[in-house]
Amino acid sequence: PKVKLATLVPKGTSYHQILLEMGEKWRHAPEGGAHLIIYTDGTMGGEADMVRRMRIGQLQAAMLTVGGLAEIDPSVKCLQNIPMAFRSFAELDYVSAKLRPLFEKKFLEKGYVILFWGDAGWVRFFSREPAARPEDFKKMKMFVGAGDTQTSDIMKSLGYQPVPLEAMDILPSLQTGLIDAAPSTPFYALAGQFYGPAPYMLKINWVPLVGGTVIVKKVWDALPAETRAAMLQAAHEASDQIKVRSRVENDEALAAMVKRGLQVHEPTPAELAEWAQFCESVYPSIRGHIVPADMFDEVMRLLKEYRDAKH
Amino acid sequence: MTAAGLEGAALTERGYSEPTGWRRFVRDAENLGVTLALLAMMLLPVVESVLRKTLHTGISGATTIVQHFTLIVGMLGGAIAAREGRLLALSALTSVMRGRVKLAATIFSHALAAAVSIFLCVAGWLFVRSEIPTGAVIAYGFRTWWVELLIPVGFGVIAARLWWHATKTWRGRVATLVLIAAFVALAVWSPLPPERMRWPALGVLLVATVLGAPVFTTLGGAALILFWSEGSAIAAVPLTQYSLVVNPSLPTVPLFTLAGYFLAEGGASKRLVRVFDALFGMIRGGPAIVTALVCAFFTSFTGGSGVTILALGGVLMPVLVAAKYPERNALGLLTGAGSLGILFPPCLPLILYAIIASQAKAAVTIEQMFLGGILPGFLLVGLTIWWGVASGPKLEATQKRFDFREARAAIWAAKWELLLPVVALVALFGGFATPVEASAVTALYAFIIETFVYRDLKLVGGRTAARPPGKTVVETVTDCGLLVGGVLLILGVALGFTQYLVDAQIPDQAVAWATATIHSKWLFLLGLNVVLLFVGGLVEIYAAIVVVVPLLVPLGMAFGIDPIHLGIIFLANMELGFLAPPVGLNLLLASYRFDKPLISVMRAVLPMLLVLFLGVLLITYFSPLTTWLPHLIMRR
Ligand code: NA
Ligand code: NA
Repeated sequence: PKVKLATLVPKGTSYHQILLEMGEKWRHAPEGGAHLIIYTDGTMGGEADMVRRMRIGQLQAAMLTVGGLAEIDPSVKCLQNIPMAFRSFAELDYVSAKLRPLFEKKFLEKGYVILFWGDAGWVRFFSREPAARPEDFKKMKMFVGAGDTQTSDIMKSLGYQPVPLEAMDILPSLQTGLIDAAPSTPFYALAGQFYGPAPYMLKINWVPLVGGTVIVKKVWDALPAETRAAMLQAAHEASDQIKVRSRVENDEALAAMVKRGLQVHEPTPAELAEWAQFCESVYPSIRGHIVPADMFDEVMRLLKEYRDAKH
Repeated sequence: MTAAGLEGAALTERGYSEPTGWRRFVRDAENLGVTLALLAMMLLPVVESVLRKTLHTGISGATTIVQHFTLIVGMLGGAIAAREGRLLALSALTSVMRGRVKLAATIFSHALAAAVSIFLCVAGWLFVRSEIPTGAVIAYGFRTWWVELLIPVGFGVIAARLWWHATKTWRGRVATLVLIAAFVALAVWSPLPPERMRWPALGVLLVATVLGAPVFTTLGGAALILFWSEGSAIAAVPLTQYSLVVNPSLPTVPLFTLAGYFLAEGGASKRLVRVFDALFGMIRGGPAIVTALVCAFFTSFTGGSGVTILALGGVLMPVLVAAKYPERNALGLLTGAGSLGILFPPCLPLILYAIIASQAKAAVTIEQMFLGGILPGFLLVGLTIWWGVASGPKLEATQKRFDFREARAAIWAAKWELLLPVVALVALFGGFATPVEASAVTALYAFIIETFVYRDLKLVGGRTAARPPGKTVVETVTDCGLLVGGVLLILGVALGFTQYLVDAQIPDQAVAWATATIHSKWLFLLGLNVVLLFVGGLVEIYAAIVVVVPLLVPLGMAFGIDPIHLGIIFLANMELGFLAPPVGLNLLLASYRFDKPLISVMRAVLPMLLVLFLGVLLITYFSPLTTWLPHLIMRR
């Protein structure tokens, strides 16, 4: 059978290559395998559209970030919407490994099978003027996603100036000064050329960009068990490759931007403490509003568990 | 109804007789609804932007609300267009038919259009049904699917109106109904497997199009047939329509159009003609210069949809005739100048190209397209003036002299309207506003100057004899909603058609074929010009942008063409297409407006077509003309 999979990932990138290789393995899976058709570059629309297209049956699968996955079930937001919860990839890996069975159960209930997870680096702040402390961003107009009303409202209540925009408008808005700062991973900042008008990067691990690949349960269940086993095997191999590649690619992107004039500010311990304090103060408006309260608490509990075990 | 029908009626009388009773109530409610929705769209972004800057607060979810107002305006406007019989159709064939042949053709095309609308209604419902369980909310607990429900409801109403307006007799209506039922039954209980019905069904659709079915049924019908015959989800068509209409940048389309309508109905044309006449009227070829400049100014706001010819034709023709221009040259000049200006900001095709191309992942923005179009736009204006002067009377008929006081007075009288582009561009490039906010400010500005400064627009009408001439705000905004609704209907289903092409991976195949066959960028550009000239003469500009651009962008990228340049090449070719047979919109409009046979308009416009073609070639092969300005201004 045909499996049409959509993603925002650009054609020809290593992510695309890894998906193509997975598709090759799917084709040779037992009992006729599956024919994977990949739609890159968001030609099937944004992530919310991809989820809609899975609901009506035009698509059977999608590789999404948490933004799109949350359209299926909001529980996943706890990985990407609690700022500075994770200090390192090790912490993220620990927590997400623990939470996976729960996510997978919730997605199954909604009619989707999660094939594999991945992450695509840390989101940092890119700005037109140097900025190091939470206070520095108050005088800047900041990008917020067009549909993200909750984040926008929280920022306004804290005295920040969010400007709701579509992601495609970040570059021209930085150029005209409609916005002064935007959060982004280095990989995306290089691809979107944000580093030109916004040549200052604050190197904090704001949130990780987390993603997952899902397939519609009805389609998945119709495949023979042997086929599914082979496909899942290929998916896990793809997952491992993506993890390695994405961390390398973000480092490479950062190096490339520094070569072209990007100024990176590594925060001092005092500044980091200010950021941590700032985030703590925001958590009450995130918990139960943006991130479901039980999931928020679970992440915090797991982080404590991990940190206690390490010491 | 022909293209002229849609556009023309926007500025003349209605297509049908005054309804009474409940139908009159429905009419008034729809008009008021679309007016309120458009006015809310205009005010919300302005209020939000002011609150953001002054009080560091704002309206929660303002952008999302405005996006969904676009859907309301689109579906309501589409239903109104169907009510008034003003859905855009490109074939004028029935206008040369008589008697029973004409009746049969009308019934056939209307019945098929109604059947397509019924299936769009069904597909729309399938889409809404998939959305209900998500519980998604727009703002303040208002469910998204409540608004989405307008898609199936709107198509249902359009289907009913297409049926009702097919003929005026009950016997005709019964015949139409039977035919509609036959089309629906044929699709539901298909005698052949769907994949073998594809070509026959597309053939029937083509016949109906030639016989005058509206453009949206051609594109929407083709999209439905293609998805259906593949056993794929037909709900993809309304889903795609929904995601286009609620695109965060799309509210700029109705809002800039609204600004244009306020200008057109507010009598801006006479003040603008006076300004340019006072400035250039006395030099040789002055009237040609006036024509080109006024048309370009006007079109940049009205969207190149032909409103220019209809609004300005009556004002400018006498100017040219008084200056002893041969009638044929005057006709050619006016028809040709009617689409000048689609390359100037804030013209809709530039916006639409930026939206569609960036969905196809080209790095291009509305701002860049606005800047990129300016110099090519002036080139085409310059060429038009050159031809206008060259083809004008050799001896000056009048011995007018430059009158400083008249020039000053004319500029002073039109000062608020002359400032309109400044308002739009400063808002946009000054870092004050998003494109949507800039368009809302522009519309609000136009509304205020025409209603309160010039007082050419009336806030309230009342149908008394004492009422002075001039339209009311509700009438003007309803007309704008009707036009926008008609256009969004076409755009939405056209993107549904494009979605099929994407689904079938046709853009990828086109790139593979072209890069394997064509090895030179110059050869590619030449081929592009030929194909686009053909497309421009055959396809309506908005539909062309939505259907052709997603195919074009990956090709352009494969051949290393700057997406801004590609866009301007595309739109310049479309501008030519307005004048190219067989279905150049300006040809139809000029024939309608000046009451001249189509064939003599074609003959009159031929020299202009050749002159503009020269301009298009220059734009195509000399890229800095397009790319220099955006790269200069948008660099840091
Ligand atoms: Na697309
Ligand atoms: Na977009």
